[in-house]
Amino acid sequence: MSAFDFFIGAMVALFCGLDRTAILQVMISRPIVAAPLVAWLLGEPLVGLQVGMMVELLWLARLPVGAAIPPDDTQVSIASCVIAINLGRLLQVPSSEIVLLCLLVAIPLGKVGQYLDHIARQINVRLLLSAEERLVNGQFLRAEVQHFKGMTNFAIATLGTYTVVVIGTFMLVPIIWPLVENALYHSSNWLELALPLIGVAVILGTINVSRALTLFCASFGMAFLLMWLV
Amino acid sequence: MALLRRTRVHIWFRLLLLQGSWNFERLQGLGFFFALLPGLKKLYPKEKLAEVGRHYLGYFNTHPYLAPLVAGAVLKLEEDRAKGQQPPVEIEEFKEMVAAPYAAIGDALFWGGLRPLAAGIALFFAAKGILWAPLVFLFLYNLIPMLFRISGFIRGYQQGIASVEFFQKRRLPDWAIHTKEAAVVVLGGLSAFLVFQHLQRIDMVSWVGLLAIVPVIVLGLLARKGVSTLLLVLLSAATIILLSLFWTDVTSLVAMI
Repeated sequence: MSAFDFFIGAMVALFCGLDRTAILQVMISRPIVAAPLVAWLLGEPLVGLQVGMMVELLWLARLPVGAAIPPDDTQVSIASCVIAINLGRLLQVPSSEIVLLCLLVAIPLGKVGQYLDHIARQINVRLLLSAEERLVNGQFLRAEVQHFKGMTNFAIATLGTYTVVVIGTFMLVPIIWPLVENALYHSSNWLELALPLIGVAVILGTINVSRALTLFCASFGMAFLLMWLV
Repeated sequence: MALLRRTRVHIWFRLLLLQGSWNFERLQGLGFFFALLPGLKKLYPKEKLAEVGRHYLGYFNTHPYLAPLVAGAVLKLEEDRAKGQQPPVEIEEFKEMVAAPYAAIGDALFWGGLRPLAAGIALFFAAKGILWAPLVFLFLYNLIPMLFRISGFIRGYQQGIASVEFFQKRRLPDWAIHTKEAAVVVLGGLSAFLVFQHLQRIDMVSWVGLLAIVPVIVLGLLARKGVSTLLLVLLSAATIILLSLFWTDVTSLVAMI
């Protein structure tokens, strides 16, 4: 894998990863944005669009409410793009199947993001106590600096997750590829359809709307019939 | 003494970093203190600032898009207090009183409703291979939160405690429900579009697509029962791969016969 591509991915991972919790929250961290962004920088934006489409809805229903930390879909989508683009060029295989395999390997690794994020938030407790101490001593600037240190902790967690997902996927995919190559050729179309539908199903199952199922079925049926008949 | 516009703008920008030091003990406490500090520095002498600042380092948690509304109102109250006027409620109490309800409304409206709605619409564009899909998502999603972040801060600062009434009048909990319902409708349409597009691509009869509603409902029920998304993804992927292999073998066997 090219070090330059890894670096580009790391920069996007850092920028988008911080948006998840620490700064802005303008949703550049969503897979539908982060994946096409990194893939565009690596010269294959359609791969990013494909990854973004498949991952976007998966954990959308896991809300970052209070102390809840959803799996890191940002790093999953960025790392999948970086690896899929590189391995696609290296192994000279069609991009669709390799993208799917990278994604299926990276998705479980997204749990690492939850773990590292949790650690960053625990370390930040110390910063809070330190800020309190500085404030009592009248060191206001130093108290403010503790907040920036918190952002640094989130940045380290983000880069850590990206590195783990990239290395894990990069090591596993070439081993698994020969074993599932044939199977993926036959199932890639269906898998591409299944991932967003699983996301929709999870949202449907967890969204707090009394008539969710009725609305969904009516909308699905109506849209499908319109497309079929018109 | 009123805070200068420049100081207020400075505070608003700092509120964009509110969750930078999020921690399990006091959540956004340090971030809220960090955001308000430029204002507090202008209002209080150095010897009193430490005492006032310590109150802001306490527990604080609200929705990041509605934090500017709280911050604006708190600044107004601090301004009044610095002038020697006693606010109708203690600033600490006010902060605690509004933070949790604002968080609940914000979570439901923005995370639970607007985000799936914007994502659903953007995915239509992505499914068509339109590279602008991410920008469509960013535009649709950020329009309303940014409006809340800016106007919330201004309203909060202008009206102080009365900003709560402004907030109540907008009936945001109702809007949260409507947005969620709209999201479900859009996701229904998106699912139909993805299925129809897929069937056309593989030259399969279209009516089969109506059956796709069954696995979606089954998976939704499993998710409601608490089955993790990861498990659903892995099980579905394994099932699809095995079924595809089985189907390929069956068709080649039929061809041989």
